[in-house]
Amino acid sequence: MVEIQNVNSLGIPKDAFLSHVRRSLGRTEGLAPTPPYHRLAENLAVLEGQATEIRQRLEEKSGEVLDRFADTARLRSWNVFRTTSAEDAVGYVVELARNLSVTQAARSEQPVFARLPLDSALQAEGIECVTVAQDEASARDRVRSGIIESGLGITGADYAVAETGSVVVLPRKGLSRLVSLVPPVHLAMVRTEDLVESLDDVFLLRRLEYYRNGEEMGSYLNFITGPSRTADIEMKLVVGVHGPKEVHLVLLG
Amino acid sequence: MADVKTRDFIAASGAAMEDVNLRRALRQVGGGFNEARLDAIEEVSWEAWEEWREEARRIKIHTLDHLDHYLEMLYEQVTKAGGQVHFARDAEQANAIVSEIAQSRGVKIATKSKSMVSEELDLNRTLEAIGVDVYETDLGEYIIQLAEETPSHLVAPALHKTKEQVSELFHEKLGVPLTDDIEEMARVARETLRSKFLSADLGISGANFLVAETGSLVIITNEGNGRLCTSAPRIHIGITGMEKVIPSLQDLSIFLRLLPRSATGQRLTSYVSMVTGPRRSEDEDGPEEFHLVLVDNGRSRLLADPDLREALYCIRCGACLNICPVYGKIGGHAYGWVYPGPIGAIVSPTLVGLKEAKDLPHASSLCGACREVCPIKINIPRMLLHLRHRLAESPSDTENSSTLTERQAARGYTWLMSNPAALSAAGSVAKLVQKPFSSEGKIDKRVSLPLVSRWTAARDMPTLAGRSFRQIWADELESES
Amino acid sequence: MTQPAEVHTSLFVTCIVDQLYPQVGVSVVNVLRRHGVKLDFPSDQTCCGQPLFNSGYTQLARQLGKRVIDSFSLSDYVVVPSGSCAAMLKVFYRELFSGDPDYGEKAEQLAGKVFEFSEFLVKVLGIEDAGACFPATATYHSSCHLLREMEVRQEPLLLLEKVEGLELRPLPQAETCCGFGGTFSVKYPHISEGMMEDKIANVLATGADTLISCDMSCLMHIGGGMSRQGQPVRVRHIAEILEGQEETGGAGNG
Repeated sequence: MVEIQNVNSLGIPKDAFLSHVRRSLGRTEGLAPTPPYHRLAENLAVLEGQATEIRQRLEEKSGEVLDRFADTARLRSWNVFRTTSAEDAVGYVVELARNLSVTQAARSEQPVFARLPLDSALQAEGIECVTVAQDEASARDRVRSGIIESGLGITGADYAVAETGSVVVLPRKGLSRLVSLVPPVHLAMVRTEDLVESLDDVFLLRRLEYYRNGEEMGSYLNFITGPSRTADIEMKLVVGVHGPKEVHLVLLG
Repeated sequence: MADVKTRDFIAASGAAMEDVNLRRALRQVGGGFNEARLDAIEEVSWEAWEEWREEARRIKIHTLDHLDHYLEMLYEQVTKAGGQVHFARDAEQANAIVSEIAQSRGVKIATKSKSMVSEELDLNRTLEAIGVDVYETDLGEYIIQLAEETPSHLVAPALHKTKEQVSELFHEKLGVPLTDDIEEMARVARETLRSKFLSADLGISGANFLVAETGSLVIITNEGNGRLCTSAPRIHIGITGMEKVIPSLQDLSIFLRLLPRSATGQRLTSYVSMVTGPRRSEDEDGPEEFHLVLVDNGRSRLLADPDLREALYCIRCGACLNICPVYGKIGGHAYGWVYPGPIGAIVSPTLVGLKEAKDLPHASSLCGACREVCPIKINIPRMLLHLRHRLAESPSDTENSSTLTERQAARGYTWLMSNPAALSAAGSVAKLVQKPFSSEGKIDKRVSLPLVSRWTAARDMPTLAGRSFRQIWADELESES
Repeated sequence: MTQPAEVHTSLFVTCIVDQLYPQVGVSVVNVLRRHGVKLDFPSDQTCCGQPLFNSGYTQLARQLGKRVIDSFSLSDYVVVPSGSCAAMLKVFYRELFSGDPDYGEKAEQLAGKVFEFSEFLVKVLGIEDAGACFPATATYHSSCHLLREMEVRQEPLLLLEKVEGLELRPLPQAETCCGFGGTFSVKYPHISEGMMEDKIANVLATGADTLISCDMSCLMHIGGGMSRQGQPVRVRHIAEILEGQEETGGAGNG
């Protein structure tokens, strides 16, 4: 392990940098905005009130939001499969794995999988399922190479956003970002309770969690919206550059 | 800092117009990106679009007016999340910070996600000089890195290259067979870079937005390279201009709606990745260290000028390039520095020195299309006029580039136009003078007169009318009223 | 309709019309008078200062701007047969004189009185059918300043659609700049000509025999290019079209 040094001696000190910014703004001292920025002036109670409204709204029109999510997701090139049956959901994954002729799949540990007999169903097809949750750091490299060798990555979703057809993943025990990114095919399992209407909903709910958790944001928040793509050569669309070329959504509920 | 070639604008733009491949590429951009943008706006309605633009502009105005406050907040939050913030006054300091981090931690391989600021700093050259292997991982950036070129567009850096050129480049540099299949080229890049991602010690990214409230860095990509750069290596350095900060997490929605639609007509890019500090102990993956390098490098000059401050509202979507008829003719490289197109014609002169880039503010017909498409409603034509004013009339020698001849011509014109009698007299003289040079109401194209010949090279020029309107009015029309 | 006698409508004819295309000014006068406008022409008017303003000579542009503001201080309306010069008077003067203790207010007053010619017909006089006849197959080029500074998009088309005998064809990429840009056209002729060539190709693609615009400067540029290329397309200011009558229009069925 390389010793971590303090590199703040390079560059210029924060105070010097900020005072230059201030001078450029025509001021000599720091001034907080008056009145303060409206969003940053909101307290926890305000955010909780708004979150309650969001949840009520979602409850009232969950069917509509689910439809909208499915429609938008299809437009963003997700292959969408809707079912209310856990069995059918597992069946879809197994069939996908079979059609892809994969011998190994990688899966994150997320609540959605607790009640799905997915691993055993895949094993019955001779497909090994690598799961991420490992208690020892030494196992991490093994898991990483396991993900890299997998033909299919399976994740849940912390949010599914109807406005954009996106799946949002947050850090948690048992979830590696590589599962949704490195294998050539990604499948996300989404439950009705994961749905939100808009980007506004996601950021409000995350903001609320941030303040509830003592201003801890978590190390990442990723939106995944369809397959990896590029149009960098002659503006021709190519899918599957560094991430998956094929993406599936199973909507359960 | 990246090489500055802004003085060569006239020659470079002329050469660009002769480049057949470039012309073909530019025609695709003009149509493709802009039509997709219009479709994406119509989907949400123009009314909603206008509201979003207003809202985004309000946020940017507020943030830049209190930039010190939000940078302080950002610093505190990044630090609290376990990251380190470094401040760089100029390119040299920014490069030194990154070099120091790389050297002190024994970095051998670095992967990079697209960052215009790193282009501005010429960071790759700095890192290579200390023995770090640097790999650009955005496909377009990877192509131009192999070709040892610079980006020609803010979001499509290799837009100037044809697939044949890319194929030849891959053949020469990577030893793969020639192909005309673009998917195959993308596959080659994926395979070559995959091993680099997984063996890199350092991932470098830019930032599309920085959230002061939470200390988060947000990047927007389509390929997935940004996610890999920021999660696979043990160190992540985010390097970006100080103007990228926005106050609240909730402000992100509006910008995430505006940026992809304006850039490529997408409703959202494939990936939006938000990073807050390094990996926490309970996380399964992620870097052990997170550094944020905030760069001024001339931005405070834009901040200090009330007429130019709004250039810092730019979110680098490239919509103004895609709509600009001048960019559409000459492409990005002719602009001579990192930032091309209408917004580049403001940012580059301010960052490299106005006199050094005196041709850029004039490289516009002031048609206003850029302002019309800008998601932040940045008034680019007004800023170009402001820079022209400084070039023409600034009392400062470091800005004023007008020659004595130009100033005399401008004063002479003003005098003439302030004296209608003199103007009439001049008109009579001009009509006599033009006679031997004209036929059938046109100036003879073979006549070589200063300025006139610049017009008549490709266009006929009408002669002065026998009687001016004011004469006709006095002779005939006035009495009828 | 006839305007009340006490309404003073003044013509700001623009340099290019005054010196190069006086017939356009005559057409403007004829059309406006036919619709009952009592028109005057302040004879000390010269240039609005836009070439100076666009070249960065703000202080000199102010000198000319003050003359224009003074010349038209008594007018109720100022009609300008050019989107570009109208924008100078209406939009850019306000910026040039913003904060000026004397001319700031005067520039604001002028701004409220300035109308581009087609805009004046539609918005002030309430005319969409100017009663004109002009047998031609035409396409319309909108100048950038008319579109984006004056925000006049529909008015010229409303007027042209009502002209008898005129077949109007849509111009592809109608809102793309033709490349004139005033001093831009001589500062960077190569880029300006490249833009012009695209515009000409779009004009030719319509198959029109007449190109109409509200700005003679664009038409001098595009028309000069078409003339040099030997293209059989004539250019006309919208006032020349709206002036057309059956007996003078040449064709017609009566």
